Amino acid sequence: MGALYAMIGIGLTIVFGVMRIINLAHGEFVMLGMFAAFWSQKLWGLDPFLSIVLWTPVLFGAGVLVYRFLLRRIIPGGELNTLLYTAGLSLLVANLALLLWSGDYRTLPLAYAVTPMRPLGVAVPVALAIGFAIAGAITLALWLFLSRTDAGRAIRATSQNPEAAVLMGIDVERVAALAFGLGTALAGAAGVLLAPSLYLYPTVGELLIVKSFVIVVLGGLGSVPGAIAGGILLGLVESLGAVYVSTTYKDGLGYVMFLLVLLYRPSGLFGVGKAG
Amino acid sequence: MTRRSAVAWVAAAALLAGLPLVVKNSFFLHVCILVFLWTVLGEAWNALGGYAGQVSFGHAAFFGVGAYVTIVLFLKADVAPWWGIPVGGAAAAAFAVPFGLITFRLKGPYFSLATLAVAELTKLVALNWEWATNGSTGYLVTHLPPLRLGGLTVDWETKTPFYLAALSLLVVAMGTIGWLSRSRLGAWLTAIRENDEAAEAVGIDTVRAKVLTLALSAFLAGMGGGFYAFYFRYVDPDAVLNIGLSMEMVFIAMVGGLGTVGGPFIGAVFLTTVGEAMREKFQVGHLVFYGLFMMLVIRFLPEGIWGRVRRAIRRAPAVEVSRGAA
Repeated sequence: MGALYAMIGIGLTIVFGVMRIINLAHGEFVMLGMFAAFWSQKLWGLDPFLSIVLWTPVLFGAGVLVYRFLLRRIIPGGELNTLLYTAGLSLLVANLALLLWSGDYRTLPLAYAVTPMRPLGVAVPVALAIGFAIAGAITLALWLFLSRTDAGRAIRATSQNPEAAVLMGIDVERVAALAFGLGTALAGAAGVLLAPSLYLYPTVGELLIVKSFVIVVLGGLGSVPGAIAGGILLGLVESLGAVYVSTTYKDGLGYVMFLLVLLYRPSGLFGVGKAG
Repeated sequence: MTRRSAVAWVAAAALLAGLPLVVKNSFFLHVCILVFLWTVLGEAWNALGGYAGQVSFGHAAFFGVGAYVTIVLFLKADVAPWWGIPVGGAAAAAFAVPFGLITFRLKGPYFSLATLAVAELTKLVALNWEWATNGSTGYLVTHLPPLRLGGLTVDWETKTPFYLAALSLLVVAMGTIGWLSRSRLGAWLTAIRENDEAAEAVGIDTVRAKVLTLALSAFLAGMGGGFYAFYFRYVDPDAVLNIGLSMEMVFIAMVGGLGTVGGPFIGAVFLTTVGEAMREKFQVGHLVFYGLFMMLVIRFLPEGIWGRVRRAIRRAPAVEVSRGAA
C-alpha cells in the first residue's frame, strides 16, 4: 500500500509545490483512474496493469485541460479560494460519477490474483505486489525526470522560488500546466493500480484525499522525497496499528499523526517542506 | 440596523410564520424546513468562515455533537427536545473550545485541513464508542412527547410544528449573526480576516476572539443538529458526522455571500431547492449542482449572490435617478 499511497502523495505535493494549490479534487482523479481500469477490463478485457499505459497519458491530458480551462483564472484569487474551488470540483466529479455509475461497490477481480503469494510465509496479495512494483518503477522514473531533464529541473526550480524561476527564463505558466498534468497522471495511475485491491465506488476519493494529505504533511508539503517517505510511513503505521493497537482505530492513527505533525513539525518530519 | 430594516425583518419573519396556515402541501413545507435548517448551518459557518475568514471543513463535528447530545438526552433521560436542542448546542460549543485551541494554532489552508482531520476523528470515535453513540447503528426516535400549546395538542405527524421550530432557530441564528456583525467582536473578526498579524499588533487577542466565535458558531450548528435529530428521527455517524455536511455548509455560505447576514439564506434557498428537485429526479448525485455552483460562484461572483445583490441595491438610487432623467 505504501508505494501506491506515495504515488498519490507525490502528485499532490508537486501540484502544491509549483502552484501553492491544495488540490482537494486529487482523490477524484484517483477514483477516475480506478473506474478507467474497471471499465477497460469489463468492456475490452484489458488487464489493469496493461491499461495503465493508456490511461496515464489520458489523465495527463485531462489534468492539463483542467488547469488551462478551470483553474488558471482562480489561482490569483488566493489560497483559500482555490481550496474551495477544488472542493467544488471534487464534489462535481464525484457526483457526476455517482450519476453515471451509481453508488454500488464494485470489485475488479483478476483471475491470476486469487491466491496470495507466500514469500517467507507472509501472505502478500498478488495484485498489490504487482501494483507495488509498478508504482516503484513509476516513482523511480519520475525521480529521474525531475532530476535529470530540463522540464523536471524547471518544475523543481519553480517550486523552490517562482520569481527566480521567471527571471531565469522559465515559462512558469507552462510549468504549472505540466505539473498539474503530472500530478493528475500520477493520481490516475495510482488509481488504476489500486483498482484490483480496493472496492470501487464514486466517493472513494474522499477517503483517499484525506490519506494523501496525511502523507504529504508527514513528509513536508512540496517535497517529493518527503511524500515517498510519508507514504511508506503511513502504510506501515496503518498495518502495524491494525495489528498492535486496534483495527477500528487504525485510520485514526493517521489523523492523529497528521495533527501532531501540523502542530509541532509544520515543515514535515524531515524538515524539507515549506508549510508553516 | 435602521428602524426601517428592523421592521422589514420582523415583517418577513411574521409572514413566514403565517405561511403554514395558507400552504398545506407537505413537500413544500419540507423544503422550507430544509431551507431554514441549512440557513442556520450556513449562518453558523459564516460566523467563522465569512466574518473571521477561517475556513472550517469540520463543522459537521458540531452538528453531530449537537444531534447526539440532544437525542441521547431524550432517549436516556427523557429530556424534551425543546430543552435538549439548546443543551445540544451548548455541548457543541463546549466541544468547540478544545477543537479551537488545537486548530487555531494553524493558519489559512492548514487550519482548514486540521479541522477536516479533527472532524474525521470525531466521526471515528462516534463509530466506535458504542456505549455513548450506539456505534454505526445509531439511534432511532419512535415517538415524540405530547405537547399542548395554547390549548391545542401539537400533532407531530404534520410538518407545521417542525416548520415553526425551524423558523425559530432561523430567527435566532440570523439575529445572532446580525448582532455579531455589529458587535465589537465582529469588528475584531474583520480585522483578523484582513490581517491576522496586524490585528494582533493592535492588541486584539486573536486566539480568544476566534475561539469565542467558534463556540458561538458551534452552538448554532449544534442546535441545527439537535433539530435534525428530531425532524428525521434518526441519528448515525454517517448521517450527522459526514464530511459532506461540512462541505454543504461552506457552499451555502459561499454561494449566498461570505460575511453577510442574508447570504446563507439566499444560498440555502438556491441550493436546497435545486438539490431537492434533483433528488426527486435522480436517486444519487444530486450534489452535482452544489459543486458546479461553487465553481461558478468563485469564478464569477466571489462575493456571492447576496453580496452582489446588496451592492446592486446600494447603488440602485443613483441608477434610478439617471433613468428618470432619460
